[in-house]
Amino acid sequence: MSDINLKIDGKNLTVPEGTNIFMAAKNNGIYIPGLCYHPKLTQYGGCRLCMVEVTERGKSRHRFSCAQPVSEGIEVKTRTPEVEKYTKSVMEYLLAHHPLDCPTCDKSGECGLQDVTHDLKLSAGRFKTARLDEPMKRDNPLLEYNTNRCILCGRCVKVCKEIEGVGAIDYQNRGFKTVIGTAFNKPLDCSFCGGCVSVCPTGSWQDRTLKFRARPWELKKTPTICTYCAVGCTVVINSKKNQVMRITSDDDLGINEGNLCVKGKFGHEFINSSRRVITPLIRKIGILCPASWEEALDHVSKKFSEIIDEHGGKAIGGLGSEKCTNEDNYLFQKFCRTVLGTNNIDNISNIKSPSLNRLIQDSIKNRIVATSLEEVEKADTLFFVGADVTEAHPVVGSMARKAIRLNKTKLIVANARNIEFNSVARKDIRLNYNLGTQTILINTLIKIIVDEKLVDLGKVESSTENFKELRSLLKASDMGIRKASKLTNVSEDAIKSTSGLLAKSGKCYIICGKDIEEDPLAEDTIKALLNLCVLINAGGSDKVSLVFSRVNNNSQGVNDMGVVPDFLPGYLDINDQSNRKTVEGSWGVKLSDDVSVKDTENVFDLASSGKIKALYVMGENPIVSYPNGKKVKDAFKKVGFVVVQDNFLTETAQLADVVLPTSTYVEKEGTFTNMGMTVQRLNKVIEQVGNSKPDWQIVCDLAKKMGHSYSYTSPKQIMEEVGNSVPIYEGIKNSDLAKEGFRWVSSVYNKSEPVKYRFEITESKLTDIKKSREYPFVLLTGSSLRHQGTYSRNSSSLVSLASECFVEINRNNAQKVNIADGDMVKIESAHDKIQLKAKTTNRVPEGAVYVSEDYEWAPINNLRVNGYTNVKISKVK
Amino acid sequence: MSNETRSKKTKTKAESSGDGNKSVISVCLGTGGIAAGGDKVFARFEKEIKSKKLETALGKRVCKTAKTGCRGLCARDVLVDVTMPGKKALTYERVTVDMVSQIVEDHLVNNTPVKKWLAKDDYHKFHDNQQRLVLGNCGAIDPENIDEYTIKGGYKALEKVLTKMTPKEVIDEVSKAGLRGRGGGGFETGWKWESCAKYDADEKFIICNGDEGDPGAFMDRSIMEGDPHAVLEGMIIGGYAIGATKGYIYVRAEYPLAVERLQIAIRQAKENGFLGENILNSNYSLDITVKEGAGAFVCGESTALQYSIEGKRGMPRTRPPQSVEAGLWDKPTCLNNVETFANVPIIINRGAKWYSKIGTEKSKGTKIFALTGNVRNTGLIEVPMGITIREIVFDIGGGIPKKKKFKAVQIGGPSGGCLPESLLDKPIDFESLLEAGAMMGSGSLVVVDETTCMVDMARFFLDFCASESCGKCPPCRVGTTLMLDILIRITQGKGKEEDLDVLEQMSDEINTMSLCGLGQSAPNPIISTLRYFRDEYLAHIRDKECPTATCVALHKYTVIPDKCTKCTLCIRNCPVNAISGSKDEVAFIDKEKCTECNLCYEKCNFMAIK
Repeated sequence: MSDINLKIDGKNLTVPEGTNIFMAAKNNGIYIPGLCYHPKLTQYGGCRLCMVEVTERGKSRHRFSCAQPVSEGIEVKTRTPEVEKYTKSVMEYLLAHHPLDCPTCDKSGECGLQDVTHDLKLSAGRFKTARLDEPMKRDNPLLEYNTNRCILCGRCVKVCKEIEGVGAIDYQNRGFKTVIGTAFNKPLDCSFCGGCVSVCPTGSWQDRTLKFRARPWELKKTPTICTYCAVGCTVVINSKKNQVMRITSDDDLGINEGNLCVKGKFGHEFINSSRRVITPLIRKIGILCPASWEEALDHVSKKFSEIIDEHGGKAIGGLGSEKCTNEDNYLFQKFCRTVLGTNNIDNISNIKSPSLNRLIQDSIKNRIVATSLEEVEKADTLFFVGADVTEAHPVVGSMARKAIRLNKTKLIVANARNIEFNSVARKDIRLNYNLGTQTILINTLIKIIVDEKLVDLGKVESSTENFKELRSLLKASDMGIRKASKLTNVSEDAIKSTSGLLAKSGKCYIICGKDIEEDPLAEDTIKALLNLCVLINAGGSDKVSLVFSRVNNNSQGVNDMGVVPDFLPGYLDINDQSNRKTVEGSWGVKLSDDVSVKDTENVFDLASSGKIKALYVMGENPIVSYPNGKKVKDAFKKVGFVVVQDNFLTETAQLADVVLPTSTYVEKEGTFTNMGMTVQRLNKVIEQVGNSKPDWQIVCDLAKKMGHSYSYTSPKQIMEEVGNSVPIYEGIKNSDLAKEGFRWVSSVYNKSEPVKYRFEITESKLTDIKKSREYPFVLLTGSSLRHQGTYSRNSSSLVSLASECFVEINRNNAQKVNIADGDMVKIESAHDKIQLKAKTTNRVPEGAVYVSEDYEWAPINNLRVNGYTNVKISKVK
Repeated sequence: MSNETRSKKTKTKAESSGDGNKSVISVCLGTGGIAAGGDKVFARFEKEIKSKKLETALGKRVCKTAKTGCRGLCARDVLVDVTMPGKKALTYERVTVDMVSQIVEDHLVNNTPVKKWLAKDDYHKFHDNQQRLVLGNCGAIDPENIDEYTIKGGYKALEKVLTKMTPKEVIDEVSKAGLRGRGGGGFETGWKWESCAKYDADEKFIICNGDEGDPGAFMDRSIMEGDPHAVLEGMIIGGYAIGATKGYIYVRAEYPLAVERLQIAIRQAKENGFLGENILNSNYSLDITVKEGAGAFVCGESTALQYSIEGKRGMPRTRPPQSVEAGLWDKPTCLNNVETFANVPIIINRGAKWYSKIGTEKSKGTKIFALTGNVRNTGLIEVPMGITIREIVFDIGGGIPKKKKFKAVQIGGPSGGCLPESLLDKPIDFESLLEAGAMMGSGSLVVVDETTCMVDMARFFLDFCASESCGKCPPCRVGTTLMLDILIRITQGKGKEEDLDVLEQMSDEINTMSLCGLGQSAPNPIISTLRYFRDEYLAHIRDKECPTATCVALHKYTVIPDKCTKCTLCIRNCPVNAISGSKDEVAFIDKEKCTECNLCYEKCNFMAIK
């Protein structure tokens, strides 16, 4: 696109072609009033306030600046007497219609209508009023809608449709009675992303979590990173008197363009919840009693020292946190490895997908990992494999929708469940494969690309090490498209058009989801995906990138920081002596020789088998989140001493001998690494609640108690150390993070030379899903849009919005066992049982039931065993 | 495939209907005809013919009934044409079921027309002063029979276009003819086609706008009902010219007959190779679908109409991009009005040169108007551009009934304007109407006589626009409502003189600031009535009086002695016995007792109460 020269109010400007006059002026500090145009939404032109005078080829005309693209040599005047007269008249109409109930409106002080009224210096109008008198719509715990204040700018309608893909609201009626509302005026039933509140220029849409607790000008606004999922959105915390009042967003900050999801926007009430643990607790005669920090840390250090003396450091297991910062986790693993002298440390995400770290490293070597998550917006083709974006990473969904809207991106969704993803795409490809056949599906895609020569095979041959091996494997396999289609239950046409789309030119992003990563066959499937990317990239021009889903805000970071048994920070293989030497040198301590390398024996296995005597759990609730309930309970029973540091008295904390209260993300500094491997900085918003301390501080204090000189005074200092000693984070600078995140993958790419591609040779296998007559259903679990662990559970508005965890049952199955929507259903596995309300749906395949893992009070993981769990369901009378 | 080589089945049908030895009874079955009982009349004719066994009794003179579309003079429905072999058609007017048997007996059997029921002079005068080009087939052919259309030369233009002309030549021909859009704006059709043709895309659309929504307008409906194939032919030619891949006809669902007849026409056109894949064995393929609208006035606006086809709420959008660049589903789209398309085959058949001789310098061809209101002959008329209002109202329309005086004519529907008596000799074309403060609009022409209050009429039209606003932009949504408030206050005698200034300011503001044509033109009735009938406004404001005694709130409930005929109707109807008087004495209303229920005013047949 070329540049266009124009003049606005006498100022010479150069802007890119396609910019509209409104944005050209705004970006250059020239004010044009306007209430309906929003840069992230499609142009609307409804408010009629942005009129300007445009002179082109000697002719002057009135134009609406949001609807008028710039053209060469035009001269724009934003404030002629005429323009002012007409713009004022429209404002006068709007104010005759608006109730002007500013004293009782939460928006007052940050209201677009107030601002424009003020900017245009409007005085008393010519008219009597012409107002609506509709009751306030307050049919859900999060959002309320005041019809009377609405100026019908249409932003909320568009945000709902274009960004969120929901379309829950639209215009109703005609003429003066036109209002915004839901279909048939039913209660609002949407994803509750709060986008409508964010874009509303008036007080029509209100955030009910704020409701009259603060005036906008009293609120301190601090941007920081969201603590829920792995997208890493920038949220703006609005606080008053050390309390979080609400969360807003800023379109210009972070990777999310001001888009949030229901948890990010409304799930903040846990921070100032009365249920927070605000003082250390020590178990005395079986009861957890409040204690001082001194007392608690003394107790812990004494106990740890005793165990080290008696059994050695390796008898203490550590569980790092997917929720805590990189700094917390780095210090935690350093503490475990150096002070306690154990390598028996781990984190839940690594336990759930033990091969993932290694596979990501392989993918990075092949340069197929996307350098950031936002790149999704530039895609020409998007391929979601086993990724339930709508539930797990809602804002990635918005990014995808942006790509689809602006680039006409093609979308392919492959999942065993018929997951929901809505966009403006006129048609997208859905591959609903049979459970367990995902590897076959991907390998078939590879086969078709090779067989039909959809990429330049000569080029593949020359730029890879072992294409011949892959080819001979493909030849030897009897898995033709017909057989694959039958096995996977995906039509041949769909498989073919998918291969075609993937191999076609243009940027393609593959999002590998949790359903793949946590499958027992994860390694094979991901290797197949890797091969697919290598094949296309080697045969074309590096156009396919992989994005690996992560579940929590810092699931990536906890692994980066080496809270895993087999990697030192930065994925340095602990069994590699040179790595050990380097780290030992920089830390000045000798590392324990004992390393549990086998994927089958994680920290909880060791605890169950009695090899571990004490557990140090930081910011995790494994009793609920560990995917094998029986094992984790056994482990905790066996272990003699448990220390848990957390914000709340979780199920795990309730089993602890010592509970150390920690600060939440808004009370501390540090960094999170999102699933796009972007390291982003937190900003401290409020002082520590109660006597809580940041995790890193607690670890420091404990280290000091145990005789080590941990002299860190701030997370900044810890990150400095990380930057100096962890290769992948090399060059990270705290000051740079204030502006923009640190993308460690692209920094690795920049530093290393490309290597020859290598295919991973594996055969297509089916995931072993046991059949059982007694337990005829397969239990599937996944993420939930509305909840995620302890934080959402303690956010009262989220709980009242989604108070029930449902079990999703296929309609046909439900019909056979006579289960209807809302029936109470008992789900029973060989280990445990749970009662949940039923939701019949066609999103779950026949023979499976689906329960979200994210409702902490419905601990579905208690039922699970390794691999897929068989369950039976029965209606509770 | 040319017309001659079409399937045998249709060919024999075509021959039979063209048999000159038949007597034909054509019953007007447009919506107006049906509303007047035309379908019952039609059924009775069929029954009579059958029972009289006319086919056998009259030997070769086979009798046939035919449905036709509207023939214009709706006030005289049901209209029935009886054509005896070798003779000119004779028209019966206001035919009822009871008249059928006598017409059949006298006219068909005994060959003596029933003179007393034949259409009178003014019926012929109504027709003789018109130039029926586009409406030529309406009322003359059976719209549900493609053969009747092809016999009259239908689809010849399409054949010519596909076999002998390039798209460019088609566009040039239409441009040379000077055809301008009949939907209201008067945009040059050729130019529109040319600008759409220049865009290259995988899909392109041609849309026929049949969302006729002006109160009192029914031209498009009549064409769609009476001559649907002409619309299709025009569309296909247009589609060929711009390279359209798909066509839509957007018709409001309130026109069920039009929808049905268009669908029949599309089916028949497809069966005969005029539509679908490889039209008439050429390389050009086009499919046309009828899309029913839900009846929002604003959906007649082209961008709102496109959104409506897409399944979205019909709301106009800003331009650029123009529809010709990115319209329906963001593809190049050309949208024309029904009447515009119906003009196209005529231009192709008779040539641009012939066509451009009709009309004025800048407005070529004919225009169809829906003539309604206080005029003797209400109905559909087609007149050459440049005709004066006087000719329409007095020559064709037959003047004002009940010896009332002509007051004004509202041209162009709610978006148009009121033109007073002084402009009776104004020629009607796009430019001069605009200059006079009205607009061509889609062509509704409402005649008002001296009993109409112009303030109230402005209020009526503004009320229509205000309630039909899509709600998108404040000038239209709120502005018109605020204006309406002021007008209502004036009609209630609560107006102030400053209000007129405010109305004028607002008219300008709403016209300038509204997004689409609906809002921009909504104040037109007020502007034109303020321009030509300001006195009436002032009478309401200063004297608290409605000169025509229309505005109820201003009624003084006094009897005008000169007008009172002493009929005592008001006396008998007054619920509170407030009126005294007798057959010898003019009525008198006792203000003490009167509750201003307005019943006396409503009952009085002589406008004697004000």
